[in-house]
Amino acid sequence: MKAKLRALSPCLLMALAACGSDPAPEPTEQIIVREPGAQPSAPDASQTPAADEAGSALAEAGKQAFNSCIACHTIKKGDGNRIGPNLNGIIGQAAGAVSDFRYSAAMTSSGITWSKEELDSFLANPAAKIPGTTMMAGAVSDADQRAAIIAYIEDSSAN
Amino acid sequence: MGKWTRRAFIGAGVAAGGALVVGIAVRPGNPVDQLSPLVAKGEGEKLINAWVKIDAENIVTAIVPHVEMGQGIFTSLAQMLADELDADWSKVRILEAPADAKYSSSHIGREFLAPNLEVPEILEPTVSGSFLSLATAMTLQITGGSFSIRGTGQRAMRTAGAAAREMLVAAAAEKWKVPAAELRTENSMVIHDKSSKSEPFANFAEAAAEQNLPAKPTLKSPKDYKLMGKTIARTDIPAKSDGSAIFGIDADLPDMKYAAVKAAPVVGATVESMDASVAKNMPGVLQILNMGDFVAVVADGYWQAEQALATIETRYSKTEGDTLDQDALFARYATMLDEAGDSEGDVETENGDVTNAFANAATKIEAEYKVPFLAHATMEPMNCTAWVRDGKCDVWSGTQSPLMARKTAAEVSGIDYDNVTYHNAFLGGGFGRRSEMDVIIMATRIAKATQYPVKMIWSREEDTTQDHYRPSATSRFQGGLDENGKAVSWSNIHTHLFDPQEAPTVPYYKIANHKIRKIDVPTHLRFGPWRSVDHSQHGYFIESFVDEMAHAAGKDGYAFRRELLAGSPRHLKVLDKVAEMSGWDQPLPAGHGRGIAFVPSFGTIVAEVAEVDMTGAKLKVKTVYVAADPGFAVNPDGFAAQMESSIAFGLTAALYGEISIKNGAVQQSNFHDYPILRINEMPDVKVEIINGDHKKLGGAGEPGLPPLAPAVTNAIFAATGKRVRELPLSKAQFT
Amino acid sequence: MIKLNVNGQIKEVDVDPATPILWVVRENLKMTGTKFGCGVALCGACTVHVDGQPVRSCSTPVSEADGKAITTIEGLADQDGTFTKVQQAWVDEQVAQCGYCQSGQIMSATALLKKNPNPSDDQIDAAMAGNICRCGTYVRIRKAIKAAAGLSSETQEA
Repeated sequence: MKAKLRALSPCLLMALAACGSDPAPEPTEQIIVREPGAQPSAPDASQTPAADEAGSALAEAGKQAFNSCIACHTIKKGDGNRIGPNLNGIIGQAAGAVSDFRYSAAMTSSGITWSKEELDSFLANPAAKIPGTTMMAGAVSDADQRAAIIAYIEDSSAN
Repeated sequence: MGKWTRRAFIGAGVAAGGALVVGIAVRPGNPVDQLSPLVAKGEGEKLINAWVKIDAENIVTAIVPHVEMGQGIFTSLAQMLADELDADWSKVRILEAPADAKYSSSHIGREFLAPNLEVPEILEPTVSGSFLSLATAMTLQITGGSFSIRGTGQRAMRTAGAAAREMLVAAAAEKWKVPAAELRTENSMVIHDKSSKSEPFANFAEAAAEQNLPAKPTLKSPKDYKLMGKTIARTDIPAKSDGSAIFGIDADLPDMKYAAVKAAPVVGATVESMDASVAKNMPGVLQILNMGDFVAVVADGYWQAEQALATIETRYSKTEGDTLDQDALFARYATMLDEAGDSEGDVETENGDVTNAFANAATKIEAEYKVPFLAHATMEPMNCTAWVRDGKCDVWSGTQSPLMARKTAAEVSGIDYDNVTYHNAFLGGGFGRRSEMDVIIMATRIAKATQYPVKMIWSREEDTTQDHYRPSATSRFQGGLDENGKAVSWSNIHTHLFDPQEAPTVPYYKIANHKIRKIDVPTHLRFGPWRSVDHSQHGYFIESFVDEMAHAAGKDGYAFRRELLAGSPRHLKVLDKVAEMSGWDQPLPAGHGRGIAFVPSFGTIVAEVAEVDMTGAKLKVKTVYVAADPGFAVNPDGFAAQMESSIAFGLTAALYGEISIKNGAVQQSNFHDYPILRINEMPDVKVEIINGDHKKLGGAGEPGLPPLAPAVTNAIFAATGKRVRELPLSKAQFT
Repeated sequence: MIKLNVNGQIKEVDVDPATPILWVVRENLKMTGTKFGCGVALCGACTVHVDGQPVRSCSTPVSEADGKAITTIEGLADQDGTFTKVQQAWVDEQVAQCGYCQSGQIMSATALLKKNPNPSDDQIDAAMAGNICRCGTYVRIRKAIKAAAGLSSETQEA
């Protein structure tokens, strides 16, 4: 019988076998809002965001269309960057200029200034317009939808 | 919690290992009476031994003590058992073994503790029994280390199938009053040719279970295999094509609620305060918990929980890790490597006189390589469902270590182990990540506080920032060549060593003088085994440096490796095969290149050639050729699928994979900044399998990965003359 | 109450209209074949069809599906369980590994073939690039799509 055994470490054996020497901590704070099954109280109206100022009909349609962007982008001035940068005031800005956002090298070196036309062609196919962009989702194939989204961005930036 | 790591386990096993090999010798009896209530509750079902049951309809069920995380292990292990049993494959079903100590992975103990243990065959059952006892004591029921087929399959499933067959035959011999030697088995029938009698296994199931468990059942030789070595369709694929497959995240209980969680971004920090004033007024919210190390919101729906969680403002305690940045960490590696100089550090292997040989070498080559931390990024985000109430605890998840999950839940809930049930489901990717117990602990803690069932789901952001990471590492080499360009010295020093121990070593390359050392550098990030573990780093380091030596010697990478492998015919055969497949000698267009790499790991020898096209704006890996010798491929198409998968996983890491640290926290959060290879970047993959030794099986899930990165970077060098010494390639603007 | 048409059945659910389709389908309707992967439309695991168009259900509010037809992975096969051509190709080519992303892959592939019954390699790659598979089943996904389209694949030996 040939046995090659590895170096011995009894303390590690203990570490493995003696799990539980450290009992799981209880919550330090437990806020019970309600018990399951109990009826929720009426939603607090103050929590519902105030409706944005009415804009053009196109911008209104754009607000709906922008729903497909909100997972990654905020539009209200002062809201932080998410997966993508905050888009307030983006029209007219140089690409890659929103502060504190980590852009791809492709974006910052693209040399693009975001005119509505540039935005339109970018949204149509982001990866084709700026190869190497980290904007993986968000291509909008429908030209009307793009126009509406751009109108909404413009409108929201003005407010 | 005592944290289980592969490293801890290696250390662990040895203490007991020494004892069990020389002293303890427990022969397991047939535990069917204890196990039947767990696995054979159905009407007419009869358990023959721990791994096989047969019902009245002659359905054979293989009880598989491993988890299905994409590797196709249910099918392959059942194939091994069914072949030895002579079962009719169309009537074979598969059941995942329950989280019960009887189904501990004795082979894991054995492979980890005494990998080179050779025992006379007559003693095998005794030794296997002792390893089972040990594994039971250590609550091991683990899927990982590419061990399932070579360990459980070879040692448990085949033996169990063969034993069950002998027991059925013995029972038939008694009933028919004929010698057992006159009986044969086929398609789940026992047949006596002389009297033209034949009856289904089911008719003998009851009597078979009463037979003695054979001490040494006879296994088939390859010429008699009917199922092993054949491509058989995976049994889990239909359910994974119509949405009916159940993963951990799909657990469903009446009145179950949902938890979203956010942990302190720096490991070790605690939640000093939380402001939940907005969250507690949000729709659907039931509870808001400060658990000390994380915050949880429990709500009627997961989306509601997430929305509320996002509004909670949290302050965390200061930790030592807060000041740590990525560059500082690599600088620390460099300083410590400098301090170790030519002689310090732990020597892993040494042969000859490397100092002298290098000093006298005609050509000297030196290089340093770096790789970053990596996350697992399983497609199914980490999750766990728990229900703690009235002295009982039930936990649902997908884990690579069900028995450990059960034990963990018992400890965390404070409920007696026997009243804790762990329910495992399909794993939406494992890759080592799901061997950790963190989500089991967290969900059980939440459920203990709520007392009603809660499904905790991590967001992708949590999954990315709270992983147990493949460590970053730096490795330095010095190599010497004589005047004929022959390698005469190989010296390496690198940071960290986890597992497998042999990952930095190159015993298969014939170099007279070599010395390999490591230094340990503390980092605050949690380590976790990541597909192929240390081979994922050292495969790249070693095969890059071999290529640099070949270039310095004025030799072709393939020819140079052939010289180094002289005297190892099995290794050479794999290398030659990949060269032949890839048309290594054929010219390529300008701007294209081929790179070769060779890494044996987890018992399987793999050589890969990558072909790259550098003429476009982005690097394009066109084709990867894989030649692999796993000893014997039980399910060849399943094996090929694991090679394809390893190529995609390895290429993701090579092109993009980087977890970086700023102020102690992980910077990446989702797939936009931790990108995964997409279909338009996937190369063609050509796989050829060599069955080099049917007695010595290797793994499938991991060994395809280590050669991929160096094959690609060596190809880039061939095409451009630029040597890549740091991953990912995105850093060098190749992507 | 929101009235939804899911896989041809009318369902009424009492949820916030902003709730993503994903969570309504998984939690309210208990159809778990549609998977959560990233939450921000980067991985495609949650792909369903709304009026035949593939959408990322994790980032699409359920209000968007008002008056439209949602199809999930559970709605592809016939009532008797007979797989569609795409699903059958997925089995024949042994595509799935861990399987977690495959519902989304199959939904994207189904939409592709409906729009373009004879896709080229590049068109397959373009249409499927929004669906991540961590197990790397891409080679087989390409083969399966071609098989479902009745196109010959250069590598049929597997």
